[in-house]
Amino acid sequence: MSEVVVTAGDSPIREVNIEIRARLAEGNSVVVRDTRSRHNLGVGLPAGAKVRFEGSVGYYCGGLNDGAFIEVERNAGWSTGEAMATGEIIVNGYAGMSTGASMRGGLIHVKGDAGPRCGVAMKGGDIIVEGKIGYMSGFMAHAGRIIALSGADEACADSLWGGEVWVAGPVESLGVDSKIIEPEPEEVASVEELLAGRGLGDNSREWQKIVSAQKLWHFESRDASAWLMI
Amino acid sequence: MADDMKEKYEYPFEMPTEDMVAMKDGGVDDRPAGVPSSYARGESVSWTPESISEIHALSRLGRYQIRGFNSFNHNLPTFDDLTFVPATMTRLPLEGYREKCDTKTILGGGSGLVENPLELDIPIYIASMSFGALSANAKAALGYGASKVGTLTCTGEGGMLEDERRASKTLVYQMTPSRYMLDLSHLRMADAIELVVGQGAKPGTGGLLLGMKVSERVAGMRSLPMGVDQRSTVRHPDFLGADDMQVKIEELREATEYKVPIFLKMGATRPRYDVAVAAKAGVDVIVVDGAEGGTGASPEFLLNHTGIPTMTAIRAAREALDDCGMSGKVSLVAAGGIRTGTDAAKCLALGADAVMVGTGSLIAMGCNSPRYFESYEALGTEPGKCHHCHTGLCPVGITTQEPELEERIDVPAAAERVARYLTAMTMEMTLLAKACGKSSVHNLEIEDLRALSMEASAFTGVKMAGIDRAFTW
Ligand SMILES: Cc1cc2nc3c(=O)[nH]c(=O)nc-3n(C[C@H](O)[C@H](O)[C@H](O)COP(=O)(O)O)c2cc1C
Ligand code: SF4
Repeated sequence: MSEVVVTAGDSPIREVNIEIRARLAEGNSVVVRDTRSRHNLGVGLPAGAKVRFEGSVGYYCGGLNDGAFIEVERNAGWSTGEAMATGEIIVNGYAGMSTGASMRGGLIHVKGDAGPRCGVAMKGGDIIVEGKIGYMSGFMAHAGRIIALSGADEACADSLWGGEVWVAGPVESLGVDSKIIEPEPEEVASVEELLAGRGLGDNSREWQKIVSAQKLWHFESRDASAWLMI
Repeated sequence: MADDMKEKYEYPFEMPTEDMVAMKDGGVDDRPAGVPSSYARGESVSWTPESISEIHALSRLGRYQIRGFNSFNHNLPTFDDLTFVPATMTRLPLEGYREKCDTKTILGGGSGLVENPLELDIPIYIASMSFGALSANAKAALGYGASKVGTLTCTGEGGMLEDERRASKTLVYQMTPSRYMLDLSHLRMADAIELVVGQGAKPGTGGLLLGMKVSERVAGMRSLPMGVDQRSTVRHPDFLGADDMQVKIEELREATEYKVPIFLKMGATRPRYDVAVAAKAGVDVIVVDGAEGGTGASPEFLLNHTGIPTMTAIRAAREALDDCGMSGKVSLVAAGGIRTGTDAAKCLALGADAVMVGTGSLIAMGCNSPRYFESYEALGTEPGKCHHCHTGLCPVGITTQEPELEERIDVPAAAERVARYLTAMTMEMTLLAKACGKSSVHNLEIEDLRALSMEASAFTGVKMAGIDRAFTW
């Protein structure tokens, strides 16, 4: 696989993406230069695609991706990897709001902090954030894991349906209807194994595993006051 | 004062008996004179028998009531407040029983951006109703029925059901804030994508599916625990305002390589502004769902007390598109309380390019039909009055996930009824259009209508019948 360069600059994003897809279809991996934090770079990439963005990207980078490997050299805007089905995205800097929103599978790895509502409505897959996750991260997530290595902002794991938020470091506050539980040793091992595979192994971490308290799963008249929380 | 007067004056005759004063002479007990009739009727403005029973219900439940169907607010105007004024001396009618009238409808072709705009044979399609709210059999029947007459169906919020994708020649994939099941492979199986920011039954509030309907299959598609009372978000997870939505729309176009149109569905609240903003955000089709819009389940007070009527929303939306030069570039679809081809024709005359029907299509399949009486009775209702879609115990198998109830839908027969309903609606529309001298249903115009009530005229700008002037302030 040879690496070819596509320059984003101020070309229409449609043309940039067409060129990325064309270069990938020829069997190359792609480096995108002069990214200028443009929105919608590398949207809807197919399985096996390998794209590296030199610089920062805007909203929806790697959104609706279906098995691509994407790396962002610096920072990413909102909703990186939105609704991705499989694949892997690495953000070497910080990620904005709603990273991995409603993703169904695959992995997003943010080396800096992630903004608010990280993993909102996610349906599967893993998000690793080496820094801190923003407020209301995991809001109404259904499944999957959010793993934060340096703490979580307020209202963490608000209104979870399912899924897990793992936090090493301080959790400023829990969101509505979530609770911290003691993880099973094999669950910790699974998280640590994932991290070790990415060069982040550290068995001394103290994990807080947050899951749904399931109080808002049902409309029960006797629990009506629980609903006033929201 | 009154007592003083009594003392000062004496009749020149004996005081009458109380019975005589009470008009008991010649009276009958069950119709007493001298007792205000309102005592018997108990006609409080605020505390009607309905509002009293509502408070009893709230105080028992400790939460708001939830139900399906549509608004019970009788202050909404209806399409019956408008009438057509066909061609007479100043205009020439077409031969209603003979001449052709075009019904072809293109959605999403106006911007020139989209490779495959939707081409429908009729200006009516089946509204987005989720698998979950509806049974799989009902979804399949709607798909086949719509395909037979050359129109589309829409997935609704629950993800893409294989049965529906197979049945529907043209399928719009709904992208609600909850994004159930949504990924690239599903998006690329769709003929159009609909971003939802609201619906007429409960604008400003997300979808609702009570636990009885969250079966294994439904839960699997939505990645939810089985049996939870699913309340969906109303805000999208990955954008906030209209400016961000513009970026989102570009993302969807990129992901689908500009092949399919992007719809935006909204509940009718401030359509004059909302539609203009949506058009600017770059969608191809705007769906405006009025306060009469149906639902599988909603907090009841939102059904009855939010949103504005469909007829007035259409006018506001059309005027907004005209004002910003987007008529012809963006298609306008109207929904909410449309029952017949007559209603649909009125919507087109008011300015819609097409209409969608939800509840009407369910009724065509057999909703509220006089069968399976014991099942209606078990819900405390009867055919013609049922609005119990939220319970998941639909007597005729439409809004249920119970296998033995779902079997009550015979898919071929239900599909054929949907096809005939849509055909009959279209015939009503073309006959009205021809009577008004129009060779296409899309040529119906506001001048073809007159209002029968001041409200309808004031809401729409349609001229009052006879006097030929719109009601103005
Ligand atoms: C049973 C049922 C389920 C519905 N499900 C959805 C849905 O999933 N998403 C949505 O946007 N609207 C949904 N709606 C609203 C319809 O798309 C449509 O706006 C409404 O039915 C139009 O009004 P009408 O029923 O008077 O034709 C549903 C309506 C019904 C009756
Ligand atoms: S018959 Fe079924 S679809 Fe019709 S109102 Fe009753 S529950 Fe709803």
